[in-house]
Amino acid sequence: MVRAIPAGLALVALSLVGCASSPPPPRPSARPFDDVRRVIVVPSGTESAFAVVEYSSEPGRTFDEILKWIPPWSPYQAVLRPAAQLVHRGINWALEADRAATATSRLQGLSPRSVVAESVARTLETTGWFDEVRFVEREPSAEERRRADAIVRVAVPTWGLVRVRDVEAGLLSGFADVRGQMAMPRTGVVLWEESQDVTSPEQIPVDTFLRDRDFARQEMIVVLERAGQRLANELLYSRSAGR
Amino acid sequence: MRRRRPASLAALVLGVLAASGCGVKTAGLDVRYPEAGVNRSLLASAPPRRVEMLPVVDRRADTKRIGTREGGDIVTSRPVTDIVGEALLLEVKKNGHTVTADRRDVVLAGAVEEFRLDVVGSYSSTQYVGRVVLAVTLADPRTGETLLIRRYVGISRRVVDKDSDNGWRDVMDVALARTMHDFATDPELASVMTRRLTAFNP
Repeated sequence: MVRAIPAGLALVALSLVGCASSPPPPRPSARPFDDVRRVIVVPSGTESAFAVVEYSSEPGRTFDEILKWIPPWSPYQAVLRPAAQLVHRGINWALEADRAATATSRLQGLSPRSVVAESVARTLETTGWFDEVRFVEREPSAEERRRADAIVRVAVPTWGLVRVRDVEAGLLSGFADVRGQMAMPRTGVVLWEESQDVTSPEQIPVDTFLRDRDFARQEMIVVLERAGQRLANELLYSRSAGR
Repeated sequence: MRRRRPASLAALVLGVLAASGCGVKTAGLDVRYPEAGVNRSLLASAPPRRVEMLPVVDRRADTKRIGTREGGDIVTSRPVTDIVGEALLLEVKKNGHTVTADRRDVVLAGAVEEFRLDVVGSYSSTQYVGRVVLAVTLADPRTGETLLIRRYVGISRRVVDKDSDNGWRDVMDVALARTMHDFATDPELASVMTRRLTAFNP
């Protein structure tokens, strides 16, 4: 009985290790940067294309229903199934691309990375934590770099409309996937990096969005500004990380 | 006698596994806000205050579940109000304030208005959208006057392959973390906390 105790304990310990819950999401790289007082915020990267993502299950689901009638041993199954998937993707890609093209024409002149970067600068400024926060549209000059403690670069790899609930057809939410990086000029040391998927809390009718230029612009500006605040809040939250 | 030993060992193992809550699959989603990830932030710029935290209330339209997936309800392993209340407590304490019901400078009341996980199924993948809406009210303990009402909205969105079963489990953790980070970095909240007169200096 005494011999069985260590084996039993080992078994219990192993079983607990094996079923431990998944590790928490990786935290963004950050180091304390309390001493950063003068910041320049600049848009970075290229302008991204507007996307409309509806996650439609049709016509793929209908294809699957039809394929159920074909016997599993039939050679047609092996050929038709991948073909159905390709057709599903093709049809949805074409539909979404058409809507994205219409939306892009409504949003002409709107630079997502500039709106987000400006919002980041505004949010940082209102905290009073920095002596100077400047938003510039283009890469800072040598003189501007010399005066700054850090440069925050803001990119918007993806933005657009996305379906966020399964039940309401025709209602989508604005979204912006954004990236930020704070680095020291001269040394290039990266002080902070973060990516955020930002989604509007509201759902809007996609038809109105595609029809009404002013409505579309206002909605996307609100989402992009929210993305800037979100990114700035994460920067502020990391400012004294570990202290 | 010899035959009973393996049986008792197996019973012991099963008992420990059941007690640890992981040997038997439960429907509860373990939403967490780990203390190790909590930082001092803008809320710490206010001088240390004595804060009475009222129990967080549940103002959700549907309090039975946070979502549905594959025909079944998604529920949390602990009450949503406990999860959010603990997160608020961690943030307030980490930022240098004392949580007490005695000689308080300010009363903080939290209400969960939304805590949901939406699942959007497509042909080959599934999108999960976690959403937490927390209303926070600061009040003067002496007069009962409302000093500030704020709403913090944390949303997290993730696309997971239809074949994957685990990629969605921490979507609510991220949504909650974003809500709490917005709370801790809110300049208006910090400003109201700064302006509060302490019980020692009325």
